[in-house]
Formats: sequence, C-alpha cells, structure tokens
Amino acid sequence: MKAPLWRAFLRLFSVQGAWNYERMLGIGMGYAALPLLQKMRQQDPAGYREAVARQAEFFNAQPYLAGLALGATTRAEYQGVPGEKILRLRTALCGPLGALGDQLFWTGILPALVSTALVMVAFGLAGAGLLGFLVVFNGIRVAVEWWGLRVGWASGLEVSQVLHKSWLPKAVALAGPAAGFAMGVALPVIGGWLVADLDRVVMAGALGVAGIAVVMARVNPRVTGLRFTLVVATIILLSAWVGA
Amino acid sequence: MAVALYRIDDRLIHGQVVISWGQFLGVRLVILVDDGVMEAQWEQDLYRTAMPPGMDVIFAGTEDACSKLPAWEADPRRAVVLTGDVPTMAELARHNPTLVKEVNLGGIHHRPGRTKRLPYLYLTEDELSQLQSLQKSGVRVVAQDVPSAGRKDLKALA
Repeated sequence: MKAPLWRAFLRLFSVQGAWNYERMLGIGMGYAALPLLQKMRQQDPAGYREAVARQAEFFNAQPYLAGLALGATTRAEYQGVPGEKILRLRTALCGPLGALGDQLFWTGILPALVSTALVMVAFGLAGAGLLGFLVVFNGIRVAVEWWGLRVGWASGLEVSQVLHKSWLPKAVALAGPAAGFAMGVALPVIGGWLVADLDRVVMAGALGVAGIAVVMARVNPRVTGLRFTLVVATIILLSAWVGA
Repeated sequence: MAVALYRIDDRLIHGQVVISWGQFLGVRLVILVDDGVMEAQWEQDLYRTAMPPGMDVIFAGTEDACSKLPAWEADPRRAVVLTGDVPTMAELARHNPTLVKEVNLGGIHHRPGRTKRLPYLYLTEDELSQLQSLQKSGVRVVAQDVPSAGRKDLKALA
C-alpha cells in the first residue's frame, strides 16, 4: 500500500487546484483519494463510486492538514463504516483541522520564519535569509503533510484520539508565542534598518502613518493596516505627480 | 452582556471563529450548540483539540442551551454562541427573545436544495423563510464571514 499512499501524497500538492466556493477543497480531495481507493474499485465497484462521490463533496480545512482527513476517511471506507458516518467524520474534521492549521502555519510558523528572515536581512544576510525561509517553511510544510496523510491512513475512525494525543496541539500552543517573540525582535530591528538613511521629517511621517494605521485597524476592522497604507501611499504619489 | 456573537456556521469551530472573531472580539469562551456533537464524544474531543490556549469550549444540546442561555449571558467571559444550522439558532432565539438581538450568518455551504446567496452562504427556501421570520420577530440577521468583511442584511439575500 506504500505506492498508492505516495501517489495520493503527490496529488495533495494540487488539493487547491479546483478550489471554488461551492466545494472548496472538495474536488482536490476527491482527486487525491483516487489512488487510495483503487483496491476498492476491484473489490466493490458500486461502493467505489459512492466513496469517490463522497470524497469530492464540500471540504474545507487548512490545506497542509487536509491529508489527515483524506487518510482517515479513505481508511474508513475500507473499514466498512457506513457512508453517513464517514461524511460526519469528514465534516467534523474540517473545523478542527482548519483551526489547528491556521494557528500552526498562518499565525505561527509563517510570521515566526518571516520575522527571522527579516532580521537576517537587516544584518546583511539577505540571500541566506530569503533562501533559508523558503527552504525551512516548505520543508516543515511538506513534512507535516506527509505525517498527516500517514497518520490519518493508519488511524481511520480513531483519528480524533490520535490527533488529540499527537504533537500537533502542543506545537500549536508553542507556535503563537514563538511568532510573537520573533516579531517582537524583528519589528525594532527591521524598523531601525529601514529608517537608518531617512531624514527626520520622512521618518516622522512614516511613523505617523504606521501609528494611525494601527489605531484605525483597531477601531474599524474594515480599515486594515494594509488598506490604509495603500490609500496614504496613493495620495502621496498623486500629490507628488500633481506638484511635478 | 457576555455573548458577543451569535453565529451560524456549519464548519462549527474553525480558524475564522477562533482566530478572526476570537482576536477581534477578545473571545474567551465558545459555546457550541449542536445535538449531533453533543451525542458524539469523539467529535467533542476533536473540537477541544482545536481550541487555542486561553479559550474554553462548552458543548450543549439545543434544549439544554435554550434554558442555560441567561446564565451564559451572565458569565463574565466574552463568548461566541455557535450553531451549525438555522433551526437550532432560531430555536435559541425563540426561547430567549430578549437576549438574542443579532444573528451572524458566518457560513452555510452548498448542499443539494440550497441556492447560492453569497460565496459562503447557500440557503434553502425553508432556511430563508425561517431567517425572515426571525428578522420579523425583531432579531437583526446579518451575513458577515470575518470581521474585516462587509455586513450584508438579510434583505439583500432573498
């Protein structure tokens, strides 16, 4: 069963390839499930067709952890679990895998590694910082994907207990503080590096814009720091263009 | 006022709830009202695994939730009350008309029989009319998936 697992793993790289609002990762999951369901195709053609249809239904989770649900639900198809229960497991995995994955990657590992890379840039190690970021982030991501698919495939319906006892919740609890620490170090370092060559007026202006952006993002969630900064940048560019 | 958000989301507890709304509202407690989850211990384990540090979760069945809602409103922790479908939330609102003032439509996804109202919102005619009668009874019904998105009134979805 090693080869099908490997083929499913490769297919998981395109799990977002047919992303749409109606099914989100569903089609990608159905595509990745095919190698794992091949054995069923010979043994039970009718059951196979139902299983494939189930695997392609609505699914949404953090994409790097989707393999965990894929492995667990395809294993359950072989365990003779009723289709309704497999769908229930699939639906129940969406939220937790989304919440864990978002915390681990989007608010944990990603900001932690970006901050580390920025600190390296500020210390003149731009090439090593950027390359290191790409290698380390993708290395972790691929390792977690492979772990998830393997563990899911090994546990089937037991996946919730296995997940509960695994390293994942502990890592999630550490990822947030780690990201906070890295950003806390990176912000003053990179800020100092950015303004080192600016004169006082420009520096004060930049600090003012950043300060107002932070305050406005707190007051009104629709004005994100990015949107505000883009508007200010446009106004500056337009006034410079009109003035010239 | 401890319950900061009454939300319908068929993904129940996920990133948008614990991260986006959680950080925006300073949520310390998630109350998940779902009869199916209440019956399945393994599902509860799964959702508990997904809770970030500093955030608690309470599971409740619909009937139980209807009577406990006043106590949750009195809890000093800021809370989100979450249901997976329209009927459960409508039931909560019917039993506690003074407490449930606004219902947030956060995500109801495609299923046969539902038609698309917004990218993250698919409703059957029956679900829509349940929401409309909720609106008529004085509950504001607003669609908004994340805090940074626009608020859409139910009237725009019919």
